[in-house]
Amino acid sequence: MTSTVHRRGQLSAIAYLRWRMFVNGLRTRRGKMELVSRIIVTAAFAFGGLGGFAAALGTSWYFVEHDKAEFLAAVLWPVFFFWQVFPVMATAFTNNPDSSDLLRFPLSYRSFFVVRLAYGFFDPASTLGTLALIGILIGITVARPLLFPVALVVLLMFALFNLVLMQTVFSWVERWLAQRRTREIFGVLFILFMLSFQLIGPTMERLQKKPRPELQKAVEITTRVQAVLPPGLAADAIAQSTHAEYMVGFTSLLFLGTLTLAMGYLLHLRLRAQFRGENLSEVEARPTVVQAQGLQVGWELPGFSQSVAAVFEKEIRYVARSGPMLLTLIMPIFMLLVFRLGPMSPMRHSGLLNRAPDMALPGAAAYALLVLTNLVYNSFGGDAGGIQFFYAAPVGFRQIVLGKNLLHGAILVANTLLAWLAVTLFYGAPTPAVSIATLAGLLFAAPLNFTAGNLLSIYAPKKRDFATFGRQNVSQTTVLASLGVQIVIVGVGVAAFAIARFYKNLWIAVLVFLALALITFPLYVMVLRRMDDIAIERREPLIAELCRA
Amino acid sequence: MQSAPTIITQGLTRRFGELVAVEGVDLRVAPGQFFGFLGPNGAGKSTTIKMLTGLLAPSAGRIEILGLDLSAHPVEVKRQIGVVPEGMALFGRLTGAEFLSFAGRMYGLDRETAAKRAAELLDFMQLADQPKKLVTDYSHGMQKKLALAAAVIHGPKVLFLDEPFEGVDAIAAGTLKSMLQGMIARGATIFLTSHVLEIVERLCSHVAIIHQGRLVAQGSLEELRAGVQAKTPAGSGDGAAGEKLTLEQIFLSIVGGTRRTEQELSWLG
Repeated sequence: MTSTVHRRGQLSAIAYLRWRMFVNGLRTRRGKMELVSRIIVTAAFAFGGLGGFAAALGTSWYFVEHDKAEFLAAVLWPVFFFWQVFPVMATAFTNNPDSSDLLRFPLSYRSFFVVRLAYGFFDPASTLGTLALIGILIGITVARPLLFPVALVVLLMFALFNLVLMQTVFSWVERWLAQRRTREIFGVLFILFMLSFQLIGPTMERLQKKPRPELQKAVEITTRVQAVLPPGLAADAIAQSTHAEYMVGFTSLLFLGTLTLAMGYLLHLRLRAQFRGENLSEVEARPTVVQAQGLQVGWELPGFSQSVAAVFEKEIRYVARSGPMLLTLIMPIFMLLVFRLGPMSPMRHSGLLNRAPDMALPGAAAYALLVLTNLVYNSFGGDAGGIQFFYAAPVGFRQIVLGKNLLHGAILVANTLLAWLAVTLFYGAPTPAVSIATLAGLLFAAPLNFTAGNLLSIYAPKKRDFATFGRQNVSQTTVLASLGVQIVIVGVGVAAFAIARFYKNLWIAVLVFLALALITFPLYVMVLRRMDDIAIERREPLIAELCRA
Repeated sequence: MQSAPTIITQGLTRRFGELVAVEGVDLRVAPGQFFGFLGPNGAGKSTTIKMLTGLLAPSAGRIEILGLDLSAHPVEVKRQIGVVPEGMALFGRLTGAEFLSFAGRMYGLDRETAAKRAAELLDFMQLADQPKKLVTDYSHGMQKKLALAAAVIHGPKVLFLDEPFEGVDAIAAGTLKSMLQGMIARGATIFLTSHVLEIVERLCSHVAIIHQGRLVAQGSLEELRAGVQAKTPAGSGDGAAGEKLTLEQIFLSIVGGTRRTEQELSWLG
């Protein structure tokens, strides 16, 4: 009894803490700007969420009304994928603070677990996923009001499963990526996974040449497999109730509950380790014999000063040691795989990339720019207290920022090259016109992105831990501004390609992009030249934010 | 002939909104001095050292280091000074060698010299036995030693240290002290803040005391001692009867301070 009261007191104290942090944050002008940005970003998400809500509501109503409740799985699978994939794809836009700071207090493990789940619930993916599930619930209830209690219980369990799975995936991936050896294994597995996709095309072709029954059988197997997975189980639990097969439906619900418990157990293993003070460092066992260490001479960057080269080298080392960051950076290739196999695959008869496979490279390049958001728009976040070193050193901020931008550019180029190779493998080699138009598009987009990113990095910084996956605070101002810039870039890109395709001449897009690059590149140089003054002007808030414990 | 002071501040003031953290501080630190800057918590020590190193802009006043106005020549000044600020200013995801090499290059050393000095410093600071260890995994004492190594890698003429001995064990403190004394012997000037008065007394030749943002005393230890003894009435028990005052006694005498009664916080223990 006393411990329950004690725990309740702690949880309300944590809620109060978060509230006071929010209120106290409004004391500064930046804090107020953050609030305005948060409102706008939330409204944007809500707009998207309402679309999902309406679609989920309408579709689920249709299925239940027409006695096809089994097809609810078709609505639940997208919700499931969105809930699990969105936080990984859009880490720059998710705000999921680290709860391990609370461990200094006599917090019980149960409270720690609850707090971690509660923090996860406020992730945009969870909020939007929940909104879609509410839509499904309303759709089902409108079609058959008596199904409400069953649907409510099943969808609550489904929501809990998603919430727990998301946290489990994050915490385990973070664990695997923390050590160099497991990171390498992870990398090899990913490459094997990618290569295995190459076998799917020929296999599918062979299957298509053979008589239809085999393909039909494969579809049947897939349907059966999905039925024992969470979205299928949730759909089945509701569908069986429509046929008054309550025991069968209950069994599906029970199975879903068991999967939730299993995921919860895996999460428990990770959180328990964190609760006991696990340190995910890369320290090797202390050597018994002192290792002889040769001189580690720094890198040289032809054409750039010592300090720019030093910053570039430091940035490369930071990214190379950050498993979560590396994972984010290979996402464009992963997305190409998803497009290759997903509903937009050219192996199917419809789909965007089937109609326009030449857009695969520009799309991947645009996504490569998007995944840089975390790095570009908060480039000092990972430096934390090191920002004081930059201010104490006899080096101008334009050189520091240039060093950082060189890394961003290098990653962008590498990612685009990889995307080119992947597109060649998946869709056939892009034509020279597409390749050059993509390159020209990057020449326009990258300077614009870097300019906005450099300014935001100084005006709205947030301390960032490169070692943790998710569990980061993000500046809402940065989220809003980066979203705006990305929309402009993608909008201009789509418009340029659309015009070029309309006139059946992609060189038009090249000209448009190069003309725009003549504006964005000088803009980048102009802002870079002003960096020293801007950094001095923003010295105190920048140091205060990044040196915060 | 007396040489020009290494550090001069005139009317140095810093306000945070309504709060005046540092007010009208006039400091003079001569070349080769080991200068201790003392004060109770919240007195303005860290604010002052931040202003002296370019980490914080003064609201008013002037700072001159090595004959150069800091606001007019920040880069030239920074090239000749070394800093260990309050938060140590480390890059956690680098190894010790990588960080020192990076620091050296940022201070204008060529790649080979930076690497060579980094190796020497790691060896001197006894940090060389785990070359793959990231700075974030270092203990607090190891981080302090590394921060000091980074501050001296370019051979600065003036070194600013904010609480360099805080959280450092006796062995590490010994290493730091021997390095600092070596620098003083070679003509460098060191400006240090510390709460450990015994260390300041042992190391520093000159001391300034700041209290509630104002400089309340400045001079050599002997000058401060003489000043306090002159003010202390005979028989007060504060070393007045020819007994040599410790720095702690001088500090308490200047800053004041009250002992709380045992009755307070009676629920403790």
